[in-house]
Amino acid sequence: MDAFNDFVGSSTFWRILLFFHFVMAVGLLATITLHTVAAWAPLQQPAGNVPADFVPANFVARVRSVPPMSYVLIVVILYVPAFLLGSWVYVKYRTYVRIPMEQIGHWKTVGVFEFKEHIVSMGLALLPAYWYFWRQPLAPEYATIRKWVTLFLAVTIWYSFLVGHTANDFRGVGA
Amino acid sequence: MTQTLDARERLPDTTASHAVKSPTQSASTAETGTTDKFAVFAITFAIAFAILYTQLERLNWPFFTYHPAVGKVDFWMHPARSGEGPPMYWYGWLALSIPGAAILGWAATLLSLRALLRTTVFACSLFVLWSAIYACWAFMDERTKFDTDLLKSIAWMSGIPAVVAAGALSYFVPIRWAERSWTSWMLITPIVGLIILGYSLKTYFLR
Repeated sequence: MDAFNDFVGSSTFWRILLFFHFVMAVGLLATITLHTVAAWAPLQQPAGNVPADFVPANFVARVRSVPPMSYVLIVVILYVPAFLLGSWVYVKYRTYVRIPMEQIGHWKTVGVFEFKEHIVSMGLALLPAYWYFWRQPLAPEYATIRKWVTLFLAVTIWYSFLVGHTANDFRGVGA
Repeated sequence: MTQTLDARERLPDTTASHAVKSPTQSASTAETGTTDKFAVFAITFAIAFAILYTQLERLNWPFFTYHPAVGKVDFWMHPARSGEGPPMYWYGWLALSIPGAAILGWAATLLSLRALLRTTVFACSLFVLWSAIYACWAFMDERTKFDTDLLKSIAWMSGIPAVVAAGALSYFVPIRWAERSWTSWMLITPIVGLIILGYSLKTYFLR
């Protein structure tokens, strides 16, 4: 890793890491959003006989008609490496980004980023249960809690994405 | 696609009696399989992590302190040293709370259903009540003209009514209610934890 760091230069190395973290976060954000929509607003079955090749007419209806459990594994697979990469990039944030933020008095940005480390940790701890609740066949006794856990994860990921993006705009890729 | 979705969603309703067993059902019939033990582990892990993480952060008890500017690691909590840049405690809190929650999650799989539910009610209500009582204590402390150092030194006493109330709750609460609310604690504890942690950051927003 040090050899790669020396080869591309320290600044580029951290920017590459941050970029991968960003790409994973975008994928995670899209997946959890679709999952939340499919879990909270599933498309109701139309009355009568429906042809087997029936496809809902508009985009929103198609999103709602996807079985919610299709997204679960992708969310878990993306959340963990995004978390680990974020934990790694966090080292650079602490020295290279946060100190200048404090020096020019961006205290609110520092505060919301501090909260991000807590909320992503809480989300990480819910992943095993989230995965279990959405396993096939779906257990009816977990019908409510699995929707709420999905929503909690969606809030976690949206918050982290927005705050991370704000910090990146202060001093990061393209800033 | 709609039919497929509905068929998948309906499956558990018609086959639930033999295809899906909740962890509590299986525990009560002493037929706990690997999957159900995993559910007990996963739910307890989520609850325990939220409580442990919040407490470790508030007490500032990291397993280690990382000094990123000099790449140095110290065991337990070390304040910033001159010339070594800012310390990072977050990794240290995670390094304690993740294995701690995993051990508690594993231990939960060894408990009987009744013990598991009562222990969960006790731990979670203690966490919520102690936090609430301590918040009231701190609120009064901010507005009082008494000796604040004395109040701080006896702040641990706010735990006594919380322990008593949590003990009474876990003893008297009907086991059916404890069973129904079991998974809800999984969301209540992180939300309470985030409220506490969020409130502790208020200084950043009041400058």
